Amino acid sequence: MRKLILISIIALFVSCNNSQKEVIVYTSVDQIFSEPILKDFEKETGIKIKTVFDTEETKSTGVLNRLIAEKDNPQCDVFWSGDPIRTIVLKNKGITTAYKLEIAKDINSVFKDKDNEWTGFSARARVLIYNKDSMNKEDIPKSIFDLTKPEYKGRFAIANPLFGTTTFHFAAIFTALGDEKAKQFLADLKQNNVLIATSNGDVKKRVVSGEIACGLTDTDDANEAINEGANVGIVFLDQESGFGSLIMPNAVCMIKNSPNKENAKVLIDYLLSKETEAKLAKSCAQMPLHKGVEIPENIPSLDNIIPMRIDYNKTSVKLEEIQDYLKNWVE
Amino acid sequence: MKKNILNISIYVAIIFFIILPVIYTIFSVFFGDSSFLENIKLLDKNTFLLLAKSLLLAFTVASFTTFFGTILALLLYKTKIHLSNFLKLVLLIPLFISPYILAVAYKDFFFLVFGNSNLISSFFGVILVLTLVFTPLSILIIGSALSNINSQIEESGLILTSFNRVIYKIVLPLIKPALISSFILVFIFSLSEFSVPAFFGVKVFTTEIFSRFSAFYNHSLAILQSLFLIIICVSLLLADRKYLSKASFLAIGNKGTKNNLYKLKNPIISNLFLIIWLIISVALPFIVLFIQAFSDGTTNFFKALELLIPTFASSFFLAFIGAIIIVFVGFIVANYSVKYKKTDWVLLIVFAIPSTIYGISLIKFYNQPSLNFIYSGYAIIIIGYVGKFSFISAKIIENALKQIPKSLDEAAQIASISNSSRIRKILIPLILPALFASFIISFIFSIGELGITIMLYPPGTEIMPIKVFTIMANAPQSLTSSMTLIVFSVSLLMISGFYFVFKIIKRRR
Repeated sequence: MRKLILISIIALFVSCNNSQKEVIVYTSVDQIFSEPILKDFEKETGIKIKTVFDTEETKSTGVLNRLIAEKDNPQCDVFWSGDPIRTIVLKNKGITTAYKLEIAKDINSVFKDKDNEWTGFSARARVLIYNKDSMNKEDIPKSIFDLTKPEYKGRFAIANPLFGTTTFHFAAIFTALGDEKAKQFLADLKQNNVLIATSNGDVKKRVVSGEIACGLTDTDDANEAINEGANVGIVFLDQESGFGSLIMPNAVCMIKNSPNKENAKVLIDYLLSKETEAKLAKSCAQMPLHKGVEIPENIPSLDNIIPMRIDYNKTSVKLEEIQDYLKNWVE
Repeated sequence: MKKNILNISIYVAIIFFIILPVIYTIFSVFFGDSSFLENIKLLDKNTFLLLAKSLLLAFTVASFTTFFGTILALLLYKTKIHLSNFLKLVLLIPLFISPYILAVAYKDFFFLVFGNSNLISSFFGVILVLTLVFTPLSILIIGSALSNINSQIEESGLILTSFNRVIYKIVLPLIKPALISSFILVFIFSLSEFSVPAFFGVKVFTTEIFSRFSAFYNHSLAILQSLFLIIICVSLLLADRKYLSKASFLAIGNKGTKNNLYKLKNPIISNLFLIIWLIISVALPFIVLFIQAFSDGTTNFFKALELLIPTFASSFFLAFIGAIIIVFVGFIVANYSVKYKKTDWVLLIVFAIPSTIYGISLIKFYNQPSLNFIYSGYAIIIIGYVGKFSFISAKIIENALKQIPKSLDEAAQIASISNSSRIRKILIPLILPALFASFIISFIFSIGELGITIMLYPPGTEIMPIKVFTIMANAPQSLTSSMTLIVFSVSLLMISGFYFVFKIIKRRR
């Protein structure tokens, strides 16, 4: 009995001690997509990877808050985010450090931080997902602004704009349109009885079940619905109007004063490689930012999509400015 | 003297490991944060309206759970009904499943039956789900008190009057501390519950705290708002104490006095009630999960099993060690509170604040180079569990201790029996059902805990609820439901094992 107690006590304190050849990564990217990449890294480099994943229940903000709380004694080496906004939040709080990458030199500068504190790769886009049983082809909205028209009243959903990629999308709309027009657009959406779902996954679920005709979500959620055999379609909005669809790259950054700097660099290089982008294209329909990456036929190329022309840093600043407005808008 | 030193050392350890992180965090918000005055200004009318809404929600859920929990516990622990042992276990099932997953299952059920989920995505839906989730907790607390009643008192009552009057006039007054504990615990749980209201899109005080925390990254304001929850819960406990100080407590059943079971004159209504409750709280979500899990065949079920197998050992280890320490801490605090001075409010400070805020407090306190040996291992999770759930344990054990006649302890003292012998040979055997109930509740809560664990789990480790919830995002529904079913089955198996061991221990005594 005493031996058992002793072993338990030892297990409590030493089970997770650090070793030399390891790297610690926190990620807000869904585990189902990020884990296979990280396991491949472990196999290929021999560097042990220790990961902290995030959950839908905490709106994928758990690891970000953990990184902020751990600022004075960082435990994490690399943060792999599903969008650049979170890495910009960390940069603004002085939690990231610069790492200039040769491997990312052919990635468009729009998707990189000017101070090299974060770098984008494999992008998702905001799309409209619609239920084919609930909507005729000619009725499908082509622009995000169509959603304010009477024919869509009470027939569409968005995720809570206080969290995740919907916040990012709304901040981008504010940046692109200016505050006055954007506020009018949001007021019109509310007037048109927009349904506010709890998450993008919830939007997808409601559209798949036919509870609602269409909704705004991310390409990976929409792609998942198609893979599950749902009778839904996807539209990249505002391609004709030129306003464009929001493109959201993954972003990776190195944590300042992290415990395993050299291994962190190896991991960041690995994540930014063409091979990783090819894997993410295959597993979750993400669009590569490198040129010449082999992608499945059903994955659109960024060359064929008109993007919203935004500066991610400015959008991040805008996001902080409009949070109170969005909170009131949701209420 | 020796006794006092031991008590003091344990209290110092509790305060240092569990309470100090919260006090440190609150202190840093008041004195170390330049945005304190700005945050105070953000505490507007809406904040207090949301607080009132949360209080209404918590009061309603606590009232319902205590009411239904009392009826169910009376049926299961005081009457002769078929399969009572099986039902005692099966009715606990909602406690094994995360409230969030249950909310998803009920929402899916409403959509399947009514074609939309508007009815459940409301204040009513939150009350319904939380009532179903927390009623098993009431059953356990009230059931454990019912098992402890001296059957001679009931028998004397039955000589003079009817069974119903015995229940109203003798049994219910006897278990008053348990009824109030059940109300208070569920009230606090409902007040600090976040996932169900958030999932149903119902704005309450905790969702407000969460958005300050997760959308605005304003930790200071979130902690400041959490202070209101602490103040309310401590006030509730003080009110309870004032009320209970006037209440009289009667004796526990002594060794050799068995718990009497009574035959109902008209069992149809009670059986019908049990069946309806079983269908709504257990069968319905279980069937929804089952249908979803196997909607694509068995492939995803086996995939879920493969994903979860690596988590079993660590999750069991953590929940088991956690539950043992929780019962120990609960016993020490309860014993001290009953004998000397009420100190359980110390544990309430941690119990009342939302899990994520407690998680942040532990990070801020323990994430120092000198304390890395705690922070980078499993010890930090155990501290989280002990902090979060010791209050429940203390409350349950305190009720049982109050039912023991002081004369027993006094007689042992006169006979010069040492303090440790009195505890081992008199106290513990008499409160064994309460200790076991406390262990089971602590184990169930620890094995399913998410809010603190997600903030603290060491990188690279695999823990059951974390795995379920991190896989949940973007995974097929069948995989998520399969994982929930597996978690639930494994937990049920473990609890059954504990019941088996408990029965053996009880028989030997």
